[in-house]
Amino acid sequence: MKFKDYEIPDALLYTKEHEWAGGSGGTVRIGVTDYAAKTLNDVVYVTLPKVGAQVAQFKSVGTVESIKAVSEVYTPLSGTVTAVNEALNAHPELVNKEPYGDGWLLEIRPTDLGSESRGLLDAQGYLRHLEATAHKE
Amino acid sequence: MKTTQLHEFHAETGHMTEFAGYDMPVWYTSTSDEHLAVRNHCGAFDVSHMGRVRVSGQGSGRLLERLVPTDVVSQPTGKAIYTLFLNERAGILDDLIILKMAEEDFIVVVNAANAEADLEHIQEESRGFDASIRDDTASSAMIALQGPDSRRVLQPLTTADLGQLKRFRCQEAQVMGHASAISRTGYTGEDGYEIIVYGATNEQPEAALEVWRGLVQDAKPCGLAARDSLRTEAGYPLYGSDIGKDTDPFVADLAWVLSASRQDYIGGAAVASARDSPPKRIRRGLVLDEKIPRAGFEILDASSATVGRVTSGTFSPILRKGIAVGLVEGSTSDFGTPVKVRIRDSTAPGNIARFPFYDEKLYGWKRQSNGK
Repeated sequence: MKFKDYEIPDALLYTKEHEWAGGSGGTVRIGVTDYAAKTLNDVVYVTLPKVGAQVAQFKSVGTVESIKAVSEVYTPLSGTVTAVNEALNAHPELVNKEPYGDGWLLEIRPTDLGSESRGLLDAQGYLRHLEATAHKE
Repeated sequence: MKTTQLHEFHAETGHMTEFAGYDMPVWYTSTSDEHLAVRNHCGAFDVSHMGRVRVSGQGSGRLLERLVPTDVVSQPTGKAIYTLFLNERAGILDDLIILKMAEEDFIVVVNAANAEADLEHIQEESRGFDASIRDDTASSAMIALQGPDSRRVLQPLTTADLGQLKRFRCQEAQVMGHASAISRTGYTGEDGYEIIVYGATNEQPEAALEVWRGLVQDAKPCGLAARDSLRTEAGYPLYGSDIGKDTDPFVADLAWVLSASRQDYIGGAAVASARDSPPKRIRRGLVLDEKIPRAGFEILDASSATVGRVTSGTFSPILRKGIAVGLVEGSTSDFGTPVKVRIRDSTAPGNIARFPFYDEKLYGWKRQSNGK
């Protein structure tokens, strides 16, 4: 699915703050959307929580910073951090190049996936959110 | 939202944002690519949103000397003058460029966000002066061509002999057959030109589009994000962030624009009294060892006392470090003074630094390699 230039993969869940969550098995991978990456442009620093940290849905867990601006990252789901993307320390530009791939931010083991996912948008819902809010012409 | 004459090009290729009421490109390919293209080669910016006011007639020079604290009348024809509009308290109303096209004919170029207020200010003060004032913003476009290769890019397209046009000089010329004013000025720290193309409106933008397309055959189109990171690296102030009504020319570290002989301008009396005592705060640069300072962050001294505030901050693609402009207390303003910036729940160490932030032997218009 696509809105303008912005990719919106069907299989993921989204927040209105432009994070995505996806995965299978016991862990969920989290990142920022193509829209967020393109709006920030040129990511130069990423700060992430420590592995083992407890995070709560929609609370800030780090920052993605570009030349122009800094943006908080809000976790789409509560849980325990099981991994963070260490590659971003040396190559923060991966967030721009592959926001849904090698530019992922962190992985968590969710504590309440079932009920919390109902507070997230599917690809169609996120598309409509972008249509309603993304810088209008 | 307002648009410039080049909007068609931007909307097709740029990532757009609202700026000063205009729909403008924030970047086309990437901020750092555009930034580095200007430092190493040549970039083109649409600056048509900036205000352009023609002030002419027998009293035009004296009117401008009422409005700005810089000498205008005694300057030679063909001079480009960076200066300020002040209020009676010497607070800065805007920073601007005056192009002295002829003895009694000037182009005043002001910031987009202040263009309306500035025009009114000029008109109000013009009573009693024999001067005509014309707003050319909608009938002309303005393009900044910036970077060490700017002359090579522009020369084939213009009748002007650019080898004869020195820094901070201006002249009329044809660019691709269109009546234009060219000044060797800009706001990136690099050598380059600002080109006002006449006869271009939003309804009939062809002249502007033709010149733009001619330039971007070779120059990289650059958006507002690169414009901001470039001007920050060069240490040039941004009106509304680093300077404003609450900063006088001394606080703004722009006292070099002040006339040595006159004080018969708006704000002259306040400037004269401010001259006697050193400013409590002054505009300074900061370089951080890591992290990026942003506007509003507190600046602390070595003992963690608050000594100022960041007014703009960015990541420098040349230094690969966070840099900032801030207003700091006099006691902390010496170059090299170690400071810290409060960034969310921690502090990041750095130093008070001289403008520009880059090495002037390698970058900027003074560089040794641009064949001057």
